[in-house]
Amino acid sequence: MAELLNEAIKNQVREVFSQLEGPVQVLFFGQERDCEYCDDTRQLAEEVTALSDKLELKVYDLEGDAEIAQGYHVDKVPALVFAARDGEVIHDYGLRMAGIPAGHEFNSLIHDLILVSRRDSGLSQKTRDLLARLSKPVFLQVFVTPT
Amino acid sequence: MALESPLIQAEMVEAMEFPELSHHHSVSGVPQTTINDGAGAVVGAVPEDYLLAEILRAINAKY
Repeated sequence: MAELLNEAIKNQVREVFSQLEGPVQVLFFGQERDCEYCDDTRQLAEEVTALSDKLELKVYDLEGDAEIAQGYHVDKVPALVFAARDGEVIHDYGLRMAGIPAGHEFNSLIHDLILVSRRDSGLSQKTRDLLARLSKPVFLQVFVTPT
Repeated sequence: MALESPLIQAEMVEAMEFPELSHHHSVSGVPQTTINDGAGAVVGAVPEDYLLAEILRAINAKY
């Protein structure tokens, strides 16, 4: 299959990836049937994670690896999970994407990888303080379109 | 925000690929953020204070 990212984009992403600090574990979940964008999303994840040795990709199947998917709260495909990795320990922040991060959402993909790599949300101190005091679970779903 | 609390999960959803879910949450404009399956919602790319206030409202938190 032809590459999704051309050399100019790869060079831009490599430049932005100079901001990466710690290792990031990217987890891809797909399935063989009824998934129009699984192949493209997997390929995109392969091409992006190949641009830095701080990024590692693992590929899973939603049904075949059902326990792992549940552990990361993945119930849709294609899905990408962005977790911090310290040695063999993976820290799941609960940050993931459902659907292909194409178009404008390619920026979100790169941005998420940098946030997780730096272990830093970039939020204000006031927001951080309030979030640290949460007492109930919060599930945010951000609906986007690629254009 | 998910980075700041183990209680927060954040999922970005490509609306066109998941039309039923988008319909369920009456997504009309993007980005739209839904909180706890509809307990709260914010349309547009809003400042973090605004989203935070809506989250706290949705979970009935008093600070």
